[in-house]
This record gives sequence, structure tokens and C-alpha cells, in this order.
Amino acid sequence: MNQQISELTFLKQLAPRFAILTPEFIEWPSQRQKIQDCFKKWPSAIAKPDILAGGRGKAGAMEMVDTARDAIQTLQRLSSLELKGRMARTSYLVEFIPTNYEVYTAITYDSRYLSPVITISLKGGVDVEQITEAEKKTFPIDIYKGLDVYQAGDILRSLKCPDKLISPIARAVVNLWDMFITSGMQMCEVNPWRITAENKAVACDFKAVYDNANFKQRNPGFELPEYPENISEFEEEMNRWNVSSYQGQAHVSDLNGKGILPILFGGGASTIVIETLIYNNGDPMFLSDFGGNPPYKRMYGTASICFKHKLADAKVLLILGGKANNTRIDITFQAIADALFANAYLRNGKELPVIVGRGGPGLVLGVSAMQRTLDELCWPYAIFGPETPISMVTQYTAELYNYLRTLNSKKA
Amino acid sequence: MRAKTITDLLRKGDRIGVSNITGREANKVTAITQRYANNIVGGWALGKGGHKIVIEKNVSIPVFSDYGELLENLPQKKWPNKIIIYSPPDAVYGDLKNVVNTSAETVETIFIITENVSIEVSSKIHYLCKEKNIDVLGCNTLGIINVIDHVRVGAVGGDQPEETFHPGSATIISNSGNMVNTMATYLYGAGIGVRFGISTGKDQLILTPLKDIMELVQNDKKTKVVILYIEPGGLYEQIALQWMKEINFSKPIIVYIGGTIADETNLSLGHAGAVAEGKGTRAKEKIELFDNYLNFPPYVRGKPLSRTIKPTRGLRIQALHDLPDAARALYNSLQIERDYKHYRPLKLNPWLKNMGKLAKKLPPKLVLSDGVIPSPYKKRFKNILKTHFGKITTLRNMKNASHASSNDGKSPCIYGKSVIDLMTNKSLEHILILYWTGYPPSRNFETELVKQTLVAAFTNGPGTISAQGAKLSASAGNDPHTAMIATLATIGSVHGGNGGKAACFLMDIFANSNLTDPYSSEAKKIVIKAAADYVKKLSKIKQISKETDIPFKKVPCLGHPVYRNESVNYDPREQVLTQYLEKNNIYHAFFDFYHELATNMQKEGITGNVLAVNIDAAIACVWLGICWPLICEKKMTIARAKKIPFLAFALGRAAGGAAEYLDHTDYGSLMDMRVPVSECENLNML
Repeated sequence: MNQQISELTFLKQLAPRFAILTPEFIEWPSQRQKIQDCFKKWPSAIAKPDILAGGRGKAGAMEMVDTARDAIQTLQRLSSLELKGRMARTSYLVEFIPTNYEVYTAITYDSRYLSPVITISLKGGVDVEQITEAEKKTFPIDIYKGLDVYQAGDILRSLKCPDKLISPIARAVVNLWDMFITSGMQMCEVNPWRITAENKAVACDFKAVYDNANFKQRNPGFELPEYPENISEFEEEMNRWNVSSYQGQAHVSDLNGKGILPILFGGGASTIVIETLIYNNGDPMFLSDFGGNPPYKRMYGTASICFKHKLADAKVLLILGGKANNTRIDITFQAIADALFANAYLRNGKELPVIVGRGGPGLVLGVSAMQRTLDELCWPYAIFGPETPISMVTQYTAELYNYLRTLNSKKA
Repeated sequence: MRAKTITDLLRKGDRIGVSNITGREANKVTAITQRYANNIVGGWALGKGGHKIVIEKNVSIPVFSDYGELLENLPQKKWPNKIIIYSPPDAVYGDLKNVVNTSAETVETIFIITENVSIEVSSKIHYLCKEKNIDVLGCNTLGIINVIDHVRVGAVGGDQPEETFHPGSATIISNSGNMVNTMATYLYGAGIGVRFGISTGKDQLILTPLKDIMELVQNDKKTKVVILYIEPGGLYEQIALQWMKEINFSKPIIVYIGGTIADETNLSLGHAGAVAEGKGTRAKEKIELFDNYLNFPPYVRGKPLSRTIKPTRGLRIQALHDLPDAARALYNSLQIERDYKHYRPLKLNPWLKNMGKLAKKLPPKLVLSDGVIPSPYKKRFKNILKTHFGKITTLRNMKNASHASSNDGKSPCIYGKSVIDLMTNKSLEHILILYWTGYPPSRNFETELVKQTLVAAFTNGPGTISAQGAKLSASAGNDPHTAMIATLATIGSVHGGNGGKAACFLMDIFANSNLTDPYSSEAKKIVIKAAADYVKKLSKIKQISKETDIPFKKVPCLGHPVYRNESVNYDPREQVLTQYLEKNNIYHAFFDFYHELATNMQKEGITGNVLAVNIDAAIACVWLGICWPLICEKKMTIARAKKIPFLAFALGRAAGGAAEYLDHTDYGSLMDMRVPVSECENLNML
């Protein structure tokens, strides 16, 4: 998952470095006196949670406050806000900038041009999807030459931006581009820029995402704050394990399901299998992609993390992938089988049905290793080859799980 | 694009150069590709100049330090026109720039296999290559395969490309490398082969978008149908479909779109680019786009296609396993000839299954019928069974764990059987077989045979080394258990250990035979042949031994005659066992083999008389007879079967040692085993 950057980080770290004008702000917790001092300078202020979730405005998580008392109460509340499954790290108060003009800008990479593009609209302050095509302009940026003020000016002119505002907005937008390209981002959005009475463009809300594959973001020059996440221990451990090596993939998304434990291979196969499981009430515990030809130790570690967290509660274990091109089945299956054997004690003697399907290099050796282990565990199993479609194996597994669930609920 | 037809991307005669060729992935894939396509002219890897990727004897691919060195050393006609990049993510841009700046005129296409290339670098690669008129596939492509020309770049088809890719009329274009392979397998089941298999990669930027590939496919006469696997993210399909409508694209397509689950959630799918990032990029929106283009209802399995309206633009399938049925229906409807006559409908075909007790609880629709392992896997399984004789176990920490014993709180158990029940209902021999093999005796007579071998192992008289061990210990004033230890300490690979050697010998002889039931008289033929073959072999060895004066290795447990001067020798203890078998009309392949061997050796002149089969051999035969079916069924390791005969001897002899101890302590005096100094000989070193 690529690292998101919050507005507070932007206000504290990025904006000053790239000469982007921003409102004054104060971070919670702060002394009452300091907040009172702010209100002596500011006509009013907005209290916001520092949270890595979009749609704060829509969700009513940003509040206009006029007094220090209201501000403190609101900041206290917002500092522990939960929104879209994410937790606030803290909260902050920003100066309200009165304006007659609000401008939308976003820089991102676009599949149509295979390059960065900038989108500008003079109808800022609302969600971009609400802005009509005629009211916004998207232009590709030459990745080698970058964006200059004249190009930005041309775009603004084409949007019929008042002449007096073209220069300040164009300069602000170019600074934004400089920040985007020099810090290794894959998208950034300022919405809105508020234009002051002195014709200055002030960035009044911000969101961005770093490209984790870009070396520039590895050392941003400041410490990125850690946000409390309500992701599961399982996902957290797997994420750490995933970034510990470039060999093989160890990608999971916890679905908090209670049914099928899926050990899956390949981005395409994992998408199809999880989709099929969900549509057939298979209640998958998580989405996984463990392809990319992991060596034994890597696969053993990946499988061990899955089993450590999920084996005890699983109702069916599904080990499934298409016909691999590269991934060695003998090595990956031996590793999974060994990890399964080592963690089988977590079942407390309770058998677990196992459904396996795979194709690829070293298949027969891999399948034999898996069979030996399952025989040794005395767990029921069925193993399919590459000519049985993964979607059929998935449907069967979901049906098996649903039947077992019914059986167990009858027993209960 | 520089390519004008799809074969411009890859054809026979192309010359491939490989970056970072010595890397784990590149090294392996390159060797397989070279065997399949023979199209790689060389590669480079930092600090690895002068190395070679050995393909087979006298065939290798040269490795250079960098791309420049490759050009310097290869003749111009061998300079690569296709480059495959396997460099680590941070090195991709540098490697590619080097190639592009040096060889813009010769290099036509670059395939970037590397994963985790930054989006900024991807975009820069696009600009750079576009300017130099070089096509780029990737990043994170698996490669492509031109099946008709029998060439590939990258790993499409894995280590057996011919197994999956059969020449034909369908071109597969997929966001997932694995799906190229998988869909080709399903299509072949429907009698449809593959023209081209193309993995586009599914990073956030796909540098050869769908429209560009479709333009190439449009010009390819050999492609009759296009198969697409699509995921969320990007507007590639929107652009391609718009163009296809405008030019009235001539080839029907079959499309599967995955990833609708990610539309409404934050679920992160496997591929970096499979992210809905705006309008038109969600899977559901892509489905709408395709349905709109196809102007035909999505394929429903089992429902025949309309006869009046033809799916001229193709079909969308809703489940991956509908691909072969849908493809066949499309080919029939549009009167396109399938590439192969066979049709194998897709079904659940379990290669291996053991649903255990659960099978009885399942409703009929969930009971899996027996499957068939198809060729060539069936042969490979057979080979493995031959190679891996006996059970192979998975090693684990056994500190506090045991299969052999347990205690369920009510009674100690042996392999799950209550010791209380065993004490009441079973003989010692029955329990011993259970404890040592993990399974109860399969035939009643096995317990009698075990009893006889145990008794036979008790003693061979007070002069035997093991009896002397117990007596020495008693004479020294030790406790009983020490005397038993002394007995056990004085048996070994020569004294008593021959049983283990005999078991190994018999296993070597019969491991590759069809012997499964050693008690079946049908095994007689196998035994006669095995004995005859072995004697022939021995005869040759003896001849060589005579000529070279090198002593030949003797058959274990044979030639230990009790009555040395008799023409036929026997060990009376072994005879008791043989006579029991004969009296009860029990055939025993291993006893029979030993007797055949002794007789044939005398007949062939290898020995002057019929040698005795000793008690160690008899113990080995008895226990191997018990273990053999378990080994064949892979329920027992061969290591265990080899150890048991010696354990059987040791168990009997330890009891015998105890008897000697008791006797010696009752009647002997302390230190009476001491040898007087006068009887000891002093040997001087020369």
C-alpha cells in the first residue's frame, strides 16, 4: 500500500519547503492561551482531524469554529475520530481564508497519456466528480521538461481565469509540481486553493500519495508520522514481512472472514478466486497473492504467518493458483506443507478439509509433498491439477464450506 | 508503435539480449527459453563478464559486463533487436537508457519483466522509447509467446511451454501473466490453440496499451479470435473499444473482467495497477463498456447462443471456467474452424483425494468422483513413486510429541489403542507389531512368526559376545539394568546387525519389482526371477573377483553353516520358522528368495554346498514381510523397516542377557570373569 500524506504533514513539512502558501495552523494538543492568541489574529478557524481518510468534509469531520472554547472542544473530539475504518492521529486548527475564488488542482499519472497530468478547475471546493468536463482542464506534462508557469498560465487562460489571478495561481501550481516530482509522489491534490484579497493562492486542503517504488520518497527529509491503524495484527505482520524482501509476493488484505483460509498465487488468480468466494458466500478470511516465485524460506515464512493467525478458526483451507509460469510448485508447496505441519497443533486435534489446485513447474513433486503432509495430518483433502479451472475449484470449495457451516449449525 | 503487425513484436529469427542475465529468475528462464526458442544471443550482468549460462553440453549463452561489451564482442549480425530487462527496480532506468542511447536503430522492442518499477520511471521509459521509436512491453510483463513460430521472451509457458501452448487461432491478451498460461490450458481443452500469448503487465501505467495491441492483432491474418483478461484501473479498454467501434474491428473477442469486488471497497488486489482511481476505471464500468461494444448478452453456461443474432463482436464470460464452452459456441456460431478436433469439457477432476470420514457426511453433489491424472503428469507420478520408495515424512520438533504413544487421561495408548484394551485382548507379539510399525498385524500368523523370532534371539549360548557382556557386568557387581546395557553394548553391525543388512539387501532386490504382497503365491514368479538374476550377477562378479583377486561382497546372512560338512546346510532356528510356514501352507516371498538363492548359488558353482540361511536373515524376512505392504502403500519409511530386524534381535538378546545376569549373580562369584595375568600375552611392538 502506498504511503498517504496528510494535510498536517503538508502544512508542517512540505509546503514551507516548496514555498507553497498555506493558512496558519496550530496542532492539538496546545495550550489554551496559544489557541486564544490564534483567534486574536484569525477571523475564524476550521478544526480538522489528522487522519488518512478522504472525504473529511462530506463526513462532517471538519468544523468551523469561532471561539477558543469551541475550538478546544472540537479538537478534543476530532483527535480521536474514526472515519472509514481509519483512526485520527491528532487534530489541528487552521486559519479560515475568506475568498471569492476557489481553485481545484490535481497532479496524477494518467493511463491515456502514460505521463503525469495536471487537472485544474476554477470551480474548486467541491468533489472533482461534481465538476463538469467543461469546467475543468486536464493537460499532460512532459516528464522530462516538467511544468512551467507559461503552460500553467495557458491552462488557466483557457478556463477563463481572471488575468490578475493567472500569475499567482500559475506560480503556486508550478510549486506544487516541483513538490510532486521531487518527492516521488504518484498523486497530489489541492482542493481548494483560496485566493486572498491580495491575490495570493493559499492551499487550503491537501492530500497526496507517495509512490513507494520511487526511491525519492525513501528519505523525504523528515520523519513521516505514524498513524494508528485499525488493521489486524495479521495484516500488520504480513505487511512488515512483505517489505522485508523483494523475493516473491506476500500481499494480503484482511477481509475479516470466518470461513475459508485462502493461500493464493498470482494477481489475476487471486482476484478471480476471492471474487468467486465472496459471490458464493465462501466468507474468505483474507485476499492473498503469494506468487512471484518465492524461495522456500520466504514461502515458509509467509504461510506460517497466515497459519499462525488464521488456522485455528478456518473452516476450509484453500491452496489455489492457476498454471504458474515461473513459480516453482515443488518449492512453494513443500514450504506450505511444512508450515502447515508445524502449525497444525493450533487446530487442537480438529481436522481441517483442504482443497488444493495448481499447475506449473515441479507440480508433481509439489503435489506429492502436499499429499504426504495431509496424509500425515489425517485431514480430508482433494488436489486438482491445472486442467480443472480455478473458478470451478473455488465454487466447489465455497459449496463445501457452506455445507459444513450448515452441518455445524445443526449440531449446535 | 514501431511494430506494424503482431509478429513484429516477436518472430522466429529475432535476436534477444537479456539484462541482469545471471539473476535468480533470469538465469533459469533464459535457459528454458533457449531450449524452446534458441533466440537468445547474449546477456549482461554487472561484474559477471566472462561467465556463461550453460544450456546443455557445449551450448551456452555468453555473459558480458555491460551492454556495450556485448556489442563489442558479438558480430553485428548478432546484435539484439529485442531486449528483455530483468534488472532490479532501481537499475531498470539506467539499463534501459544505456540500450536506447546505444542501439536505437537495431533495438525494436524492449520487454520489462521487473516488478516495482516506479510510476515516474515507467513514464520516463515511455517518453524515451517513443522518441526513439522503440516499443515497450511492461513494466511487470511476464513476456510474450509466438506459438506458431515456436518462440518466446520471458517466462510465458513456464518450464514446459509446449505442454500449454499449441499452435492455433486465438490470441490471448492478459493483464495477468498467469492467466495467459491458464486460459491457454482451458482453450486447448476446447480444441482451440494459441496464436500469440501476451502479458501486458498490470502496473499503474501499461506502456503498450490495449488499443496498440489490438491494432497489431487487426493486421494479423492468423488470429481469428482475441481472448482478453481485464482488471480494474486505467482507461485502456475505453480507448481501445472506442477505436474498435470506429474502425469496425474485424475479430471477435471473448473477454473476462475480474475485480468487481474492489469497486466498492478499499480492497487492494494483487496487481499494483488494479486500482479504480476515477471514472471509467472500475470493473463494473468496464463490464458496461464491453457489453455496450459487444451488443450481445453475456454468455450463460449451458444456454445456446441465439441463432438469429450472431455474436459477431464476441462474448463476455462471467466465470473463467466458461471460457472453453463460450469459445466453442463462438467458433461454431461464426463458423470459424476450431484448431483441433478434440473437445474436453471442463470438470472437477481430482488427481488425489482422501476425504476420510468427511466423505460419508457429504451430500451427493459434493462427493467428488475419482479423477484421472492426465498425461504427462501420470508418468511423472509413477516415476516419483519409483524414486520415492516408502513413506517420506515431514520433519518437525518431536520434543513433546509422539505418534507411538499418548495418554488420553483414561489410559496410556499405543498408536491410539488403549493399553488397557491391549493388555486384555491382545498378545505381546500383536502389541509389538503395533508399537513398532504403527499398524496391527495384517495376518494372524504374523504374531506367531514374531514370537518365534523373539525366542530365537534370546540366546546362542553363554559363549556369545552378548552373553559374555552380561556375565562380565554381573561379575563386576553391577545392577541388572547395567547387565542388560552390557548385552546391548556388545551386539552390533556384525553380531546381530546382519538382520538389518539382510533387510537392506532384500529391499534393494525387490524395490523396483511388482511385489506388493509377500504372502501371495503369485509372488513366486517374481522371486524365482529375482533369485536367478541375482545369481547371474554374482557369477559375473565372482569371475571378475577371481581375475582381479579382489574379494567379492558376500550375501548377508548366508554362509553361516552350523553343519559345515553337509551338502545342504541349515540353521535349526531358521528351520523352525520355515517348517511352520510350510505346515500352515503359508507362502513367504522373502524366505523363499533366500532358499532359492542358496540353492542356485550351489547349482551355478558359486558355492560348493547349499549355504545356511541364518537366524538374522529369518528375523529380517519375518519383519520385512510385515512391513512390506506398509512400505508399498507409503505408510512406513524404509528407514524404519531397515531398523526393525536389528531391534527384534536386540529385544530378544536383552532378555537373554538378563537371564545370564540372573544366573551369574546366583552362582558366580564376584570378579570370576577376570582373566589371570598369566593367561594374558604381552605383545611387543617391532
